[in-house]
Amino acid sequence: MDRKIALSDYIKQEVMRNPKANLDDAEDLFNAGILDSLAILQLVAFIEENFKIKIPDEDVIFENFQNLNALASYLETQKAAE
Amino acid sequence: MYRFLLTHAIRDWAEKTPEQEAVRFAGQSLTYAELEARTNSLARLLIDQGVKRGDRVGIFMNKSLEAAVSLYASMKAGAAYVPLDPFAPPQRLAYVIQNCGIRHVLSAEAKRAQVNEILCESVELDCLVGIEGVERQGLRAFSWDQADAFPSSGLDLHLTEQDLAYILYTSGSTGVPKGIMHIHRSGLSFAEWAAQTYKLSPSDRLSNHAPLHFDLSTFDFFAGAIAGATTTLIPEALTKFPANLTKLIEEERLTVWYSVPFALIQLVERGVIEKRDLSALRWVLFAGEVFPTKHLRQLMIRLPDSKFSNLFGPTETNVCTYYHVLEVPPDTDEPIPIGKVCANLEELVVDDQDRPVAPGEVGELLIRGGVVMKGYWGMPERNAACFYRRPTLGSFEDVFYRTGDLVQLDAAGNYRYLGRKDRQIKTRGYRVELDEVEAALDSHQGVFEAAVYTMPDPQGSSLIVASIVPHPGVALDEPMLVEHLRARLPFYAIPTQIWIMDEFPRTSTGKIDRRELQAMAIRNLNGNDISP
Repeated sequence: MDRKIALSDYIKQEVMRNPKANLDDAEDLFNAGILDSLAILQLVAFIEENFKIKIPDEDVIFENFQNLNALASYLETQKAAE
Repeated sequence: MYRFLLTHAIRDWAEKTPEQEAVRFAGQSLTYAELEARTNSLARLLIDQGVKRGDRVGIFMNKSLEAAVSLYASMKAGAAYVPLDPFAPPQRLAYVIQNCGIRHVLSAEAKRAQVNEILCESVELDCLVGIEGVERQGLRAFSWDQADAFPSSGLDLHLTEQDLAYILYTSGSTGVPKGIMHIHRSGLSFAEWAAQTYKLSPSDRLSNHAPLHFDLSTFDFFAGAIAGATTTLIPEALTKFPANLTKLIEEERLTVWYSVPFALIQLVERGVIEKRDLSALRWVLFAGEVFPTKHLRQLMIRLPDSKFSNLFGPTETNVCTYYHVLEVPPDTDEPIPIGKVCANLEELVVDDQDRPVAPGEVGELLIRGGVVMKGYWGMPERNAACFYRRPTLGSFEDVFYRTGDLVQLDAAGNYRYLGRKDRQIKTRGYRVELDEVEAALDSHQGVFEAAVYTMPDPQGSSLIVASIVPHPGVALDEPMLVEHLRARLPFYAIPTQIWIMDEFPRTSTGKIDRRELQAMAIRNLNGNDISP
């Protein structure tokens, strides 16, 4: 399954706790107040478990998590590097 | 020069060191001269738009240079600044604006959608700065450029140290937020003490990590300004990323850090400190919550060049006790003390009959002195209850603020914090009244009964958990309740889990057994059904 869709579903279900929520791929997850520190940790754990991609602490930065597009493209680079 | 208003510090440094940076944000900065000039201009606009001494001006924006300009300008215009949480739901913000009688709001283009939502909640404003073209009956909107075009020379309004300076809204146990009023004297009493105690100087570079509606931010701005130092405002998004924060500390060469312990625990756990040069950091200050000793020990090992200090006190007293952490014992995780009462304050520890307790006995901490708030905005009954008037020397009386904190003096003469008298809790540094969360759940028409309690947080704090029993025959699910709460509470007050149950466990007297609910939630931490 497309990673971006899986990520979007996960955020809606587990973070926004509303499967029917609207979440645009370019929407800033922080200006909109969607992700907090706890949610970022959960999201990292979800990614590592489901996509089998290791995210080192120094990559857990705003630039990689700002929106779904940024996150998906980071994961692609990271997967390619493994 | 004389200094009795929070704004005097920037006035003075604008003359002494006009080119020194006062505030920094995302690579931009304002010197003391620029900050003084822009705040004078904005203050003139506010006065021109009808702000009178004692009025309240709302600040509704994310961290930015304009946020710093706004708080000083409001005070220069004779008003109190009232930070509006940029992430709170519009309905809650509308309540604060109406409760506080705010007619002037300083904002930013990025907040246009939320401002429109707030205006739909039957809020009437006279003046809005930072968002152009908002059309409302009686509302005048200005851009920041228009504000900056007002004359920038100093104002003289003949304000006194008794004038209102800022009002910080916090969770209220009755179900609505309450405003804590500080005057220039109470703000300055704390800031002067802090600048002196931590020996701040013009060469210091302070962090501003906390939101403006948190009292921690008053240290960052006002103690920093007294010292003629530079304060770096940290964008909200970066505060969520420990690896970004350590990079920022390194690049900005911050010398003084102040935040809740939770942020520092995250820096230790995920901040890749070993890859950064944080040697400029001379003070690490924390407040708001107990710093779990095992995490503090790790932090102190990681930052061998820094000194550490625990600042303690409810927003109502700014800070009232402090403890410099010289070392953490290697063999015990007993919490560190909250220390001794700050200079020029007096404490009194009493039992539930208001009788002073003997040293070493547990009692409620009462505080009197310059740092104590003026009172809660528009709550005369609550004010009557929270101040304790103790007759001394015949007709003279001491007025103490009741903190609600239970403390105990240890053998070394330091106070230790033992808990709260009421149901106020801290979750990751945020102050929340559990009763307010319960009231918000109860206001859902499908909810018959709600119970809100805390659970230990694996990240070293507390998490809020709720259980509800629906009205018979009503089908409720967690998303419906979360949506209901999102419209009423700030995000951090929303329970991390809401259990829907057929009935509550009860104590022998028929009360909801919150302790048993808490035990059930802990047993089922991994998301299983907790029906009894």
